Amino acid sequence: MSERKTGVYLCSGCGIGESVQVGALEGVAKSEYKLEAKTHACLCGDEGVGMIKADIEAGTNQVVVAACSARVMTDRFGFEPIQVVRADLREKVIWSHPAGDEDTQALAEDHVRMALTQASKIKAPEPWTEGEFSQTIMVLGGGVTGLSAALQAAGLGHDVLLVERADQLGGHARTASKRLPHTPPYDKPEANDIGVLLDAVAANPKITVRLNALVTRTAGMPGKFAVTFADGTIEDVGAIIVATGWRPYDATKLGHLGYGASPDVVTNTDMEKMLAAGQLARKSDGKAPKSIAFVQCAGSRDADHLPYCSSICCQTSLKQALEVLETDPTANIFVIYEEMRTPGVAEELYRQAQSKGVIFIKGKVKAVGADLTVTVADELVQQDVPLAGLDMVVLATGMVPNSTNPDQAMVEYGAEQLNGDVDPEAPIAVAGYCGEAPAAHEKRVQSVPEGGPLLNLQYRQGPHLPVLHDGFADSHYICFPYETRRTGIYTAGPVRRPMDWAEAAEDAAGAVLKAVQAVRSAAAGAALHPRVGDLSFPKINLNACTKCRRCTVECPFGAIDEDEKEYPNVNPTRCRRCGTCMGACPVRTISFDNYSVEMLSSMIKAVKVPDEFSGKPRILIMACENDAVPALDQAGIKRNSWSSHVRVVPVRCLGSVSLLNISDALSAGYDGVMLMGCKPGDDYQCHFVKGSAMAAERLSKVGETLKSMMLEPERVVQAEASIADSDRLPKVIDGFVETIMKVGFNPFKGF
Amino acid sequence: MNAMSPTPSKAYDLNFARWVYENVDGGDRMALCMQCGTCSGSCPIGTQMDHGPRKLFMMIRAGMKDAVLSSNTLWNCVSCYNCVVRCPRQVPVTYILHDLAHVAVREGYAQAKESDNARFAKAFWWSAAKYGRTDERLVTAKYYFSFGVGEGIKRGMANQKIAMGMVKTKRMHLGMPHKVKNTGELHAILAKAAEMEAKKHGAK
Amino acid sequence: MTTKTMSYYPGCSSQASAVHLDTSLRAVMGKLGITLRDVEDWNCCGASVGHVDGGHLGMYALNGRNLAAAQAQGPEDFVTPCAACYLNSHYHNEKIRGDEALKAEVNEVLAAGGKSYDGSLHVRHSCEVLVNDIGMDAVKAQVTKPLSGLKVAGWVGCQTVRPFAKTERGGNYDAYDDPKFLDDFISACGADAVPFKGKTKCCGGSVSVMSPDKTLHLMKDILDEVKETGAEVVVTPCPLCQTNLEMYQPMINEKFGTDFNFPVMFYSQLMAVAFGLDAEKDAALHQHLIPPQPVLARAK
Repeated sequence: MSERKTGVYLCSGCGIGESVQVGALEGVAKSEYKLEAKTHACLCGDEGVGMIKADIEAGTNQVVVAACSARVMTDRFGFEPIQVVRADLREKVIWSHPAGDEDTQALAEDHVRMALTQASKIKAPEPWTEGEFSQTIMVLGGGVTGLSAALQAAGLGHDVLLVERADQLGGHARTASKRLPHTPPYDKPEANDIGVLLDAVAANPKITVRLNALVTRTAGMPGKFAVTFADGTIEDVGAIIVATGWRPYDATKLGHLGYGASPDVVTNTDMEKMLAAGQLARKSDGKAPKSIAFVQCAGSRDADHLPYCSSICCQTSLKQALEVLETDPTANIFVIYEEMRTPGVAEELYRQAQSKGVIFIKGKVKAVGADLTVTVADELVQQDVPLAGLDMVVLATGMVPNSTNPDQAMVEYGAEQLNGDVDPEAPIAVAGYCGEAPAAHEKRVQSVPEGGPLLNLQYRQGPHLPVLHDGFADSHYICFPYETRRTGIYTAGPVRRPMDWAEAAEDAAGAVLKAVQAVRSAAAGAALHPRVGDLSFPKINLNACTKCRRCTVECPFGAIDEDEKEYPNVNPTRCRRCGTCMGACPVRTISFDNYSVEMLSSMIKAVKVPDEFSGKPRILIMACENDAVPALDQAGIKRNSWSSHVRVVPVRCLGSVSLLNISDALSAGYDGVMLMGCKPGDDYQCHFVKGSAMAAERLSKVGETLKSMMLEPERVVQAEASIADSDRLPKVIDGFVETIMKVGFNPFKGF
Repeated sequence: MNAMSPTPSKAYDLNFARWVYENVDGGDRMALCMQCGTCSGSCPIGTQMDHGPRKLFMMIRAGMKDAVLSSNTLWNCVSCYNCVVRCPRQVPVTYILHDLAHVAVREGYAQAKESDNARFAKAFWWSAAKYGRTDERLVTAKYYFSFGVGEGIKRGMANQKIAMGMVKTKRMHLGMPHKVKNTGELHAILAKAAEMEAKKHGAK
Repeated sequence: MTTKTMSYYPGCSSQASAVHLDTSLRAVMGKLGITLRDVEDWNCCGASVGHVDGGHLGMYALNGRNLAAAQAQGPEDFVTPCAACYLNSHYHNEKIRGDEALKAEVNEVLAAGGKSYDGSLHVRHSCEVLVNDIGMDAVKAQVTKPLSGLKVAGWVGCQTVRPFAKTERGGNYDAYDDPKFLDDFISACGADAVPFKGKTKCCGGSVSVMSPDKTLHLMKDILDEVKETGAEVVVTPCPLCQTNLEMYQPMINEKFGTDFNFPVMFYSQLMAVAFGLDAEKDAALHQHLIPPQPVLARAK
């Protein structure tokens, strides 16, 4: 890199010039950093931007903009490939603090100092693009989801490898009868059109199908996966979509609902096959049933079986009942339900079944006799009601995700990982939690499906695709759908959450877009969700490495393996750039071109810490840029204010905060440190899954250190922040400042 | 129409709900009942009913034929039609209760013989069918005496003041009952209706 | 003034407990230009209890016979002043019209008496005729003795608007939950229609006739609300409502220790008085258990 030439630009618009003395800010740049700053009254306007562009033409190769929040005007202040560092003088200074106040002025000056220090410690990142990258997308599973995904990916121009364990494509849909309604008016079963998908896949030259296929090994990383099959062949693919679907819950565990007591107690999947074959008959005597009871939630929403709702069993029973009535309108059909769950337009199907004479009984089934007498604790009649003389009982069983391969035995190695790598029972133990500390999570029954790993991942962290509670393979149903905790591997369809045919087809499209982004970004060396486009990646100075393995263990995405000498080995395209490895490393040997422990500590130390005689404390907040920083920006936009004695340093994730940053802050005389980030734990909101949980775990060990330094443990806390906390956070901050004032000033001040 | 008919006296009859859906006036709409309880909540006389319409409908679904056809819900209905106009699923509740009362009569349930309403209805129909008109005086007397001579006199005495007032204001007449002119024709029509009704439900 | 002829079905109560409704309505309709032509040899509609012994087809037989008789006289609208007659005629008429199989069945029944009916008549309540065909302006035009200062509670009851607040020609003639027509009638007569929240409450209907012990509290509630309004007289369109609320007041007073003595009149009687017609021959004021004359005399 040629000699650094940093341009510094101050904006006095949006009220900045009226609230703080911009001239003094220029003075900070000049006297402390030897940099000439230029001030403009509307820096984001054409004239201001033109001024910056002219300087870049003239040789400026790094830009520092002190204006509004880094989250806004990114297009106006984007000068690719020139690196831009932003200092926020608006949202977190003048909009949230009183104008013309010396403390506000001091805050603005420190923001300029932090930005100029940051600029001096970083360089424009050089992306990792070594070797060949595959643009092929592998789809595992050839059911509705997989077929839809294959067609979508091929439609976007990618070669597709469609892998199916059975001897033909189609999955459950192949043996299913009619579909749930998916076109207006959504009130009747619709034709099974799986043939349309099968024909389209067969006719698509970009799709290669492997049947009877078993994946024995998956090595590599996004853009460079090497997938080995049982026959020894190896395929290179860029990204993987797991569309392995579901298996029905094991009905042999439902003896209490009569399964096994009579051959005429069947499951909804048995029923589906009978309807598909057009041969609805009792297994006992081959006669067509005239009276049928459907038992909903058979082994679902039941602590002893599946604790969750599979969301489509209600609709499936309605559909099956209507199919029976189509051939025999006089059939006497009962549906015994606890809650009829027909979200959205599915209500039309429910109404249709009602109007066709299906009889709905709300209650819990207490017993099913061998003579098919179903005894219902009828909630609305408030007594036990025997339904005697039925010809058939259908158990509406739920969906178990194929997040493991049911054909293979469970392997010991990785089972723990499959069970979830955040211990649900562990309380979030920190030195002091600001506000209400989250309680230990109630232990969830982990219903991890039986079976071997789907892909047999050659990752330091185990062969499995990690699952959420209830065994579904996803990393967050709401915030990060399709993402697994393995970059470049996406789930779609019922392996991710229970869903029906139409939803699965849509789900496939979502996962395909993720996979396409993955293969294209991998080749460019760019990060994926949530730091989309980031070109930096962790670099490890192995000379300083102590082989402590913290980085390989703590990486939420399994991006770092160990080589044969037990040194960490980064797989750059697996990495999401959260910096959790950087925060984990006890010897600061992991850093990014544009982000490092040293950068953070330098920014912290750049702040002017007043002495105790001033009566003013100085408090550091290391705030997660995903939720905490935007929430603070929002607080500023709403003109909520908080103490001007705090200094906010944005971090990629609380996982990237090193304990060394905290001890540097305390040594520099800060009176308190707050880590502000997302909700950790089993139902986390951390964008990097367990970054904030790792921070909490690390902080839990800080107490002893503080005591040894003769410091009070109350000085270091972690606070939870969500994107919607713009009203709460200022109060949390002010509460912490008050606590610190009670504890007293840091005795190391000016040491 | 479903050929099934309620089987005689059963505590739980698997076919009862379906039979009601298909054979009772308004039963097809009852199939859409979502048990919201607006009917029972709207009923001015719900406190005097053993079940109320909402629960009665669920009992029908549970096949509790005996309990349903013995329920006083059928007999205490005041026919105010609040439930009918308020039902969010347009279930014609009053009509269903009326028709079920008739089913209870046909099937010989005790309430259908013993309740006030059943006795009154019997007296009413007697007058309507015999004379073509309701003679309030005769209907009331016949109703009172359906409880026996002693009870009949007692009830008559209790209402004597009212009756006297009605006579005095010429709102109750003495002498021959009002009747249609062509009673023969009326009787032929009603006989035909009864014959067709019986055929439909299987003569009892 | 429009003049019209309509088929008139007075119902059984017209010959007994509600004879004063029949008398006054004929007088008032005559003044308003409506000729009421009685349905030849009409019979009972079955009211609220006919279904019990008569069954489904029994009710169709009774109502079908009336409609057939009216149709034989002409295609004019079939008007009745009785709530139960209106409900039954309207209901069975609509069903016959809308269901060919049922129509055939009913005609098979009627054929036994040499009658037939095609479902084409329109069944109407006399109040709806006043609202839609006559209108309040025409009513006001006939008022010669406005009942100024008379506070009247307009009590609609049930079956006059429930379930058929709609007409057979489509649309509602009023709301089933908060009907306004009766208040308009009262106002047209020059009296004050007091705001009356109990206007569609039920008196217990035929259950009050057979077992008043079950329903006296319903009527007591209505009378309590009448008292709250400060009304001096109750006006209703329904024959059974009029009879029940009038004749049970002594029994209610005895049971609940109250002292109700409200005259209960028909709207047609109020109109007859306001039209200046004969108090007995036309308004039939002498046929009340609780005479309304003293209260009416107070009107300015």
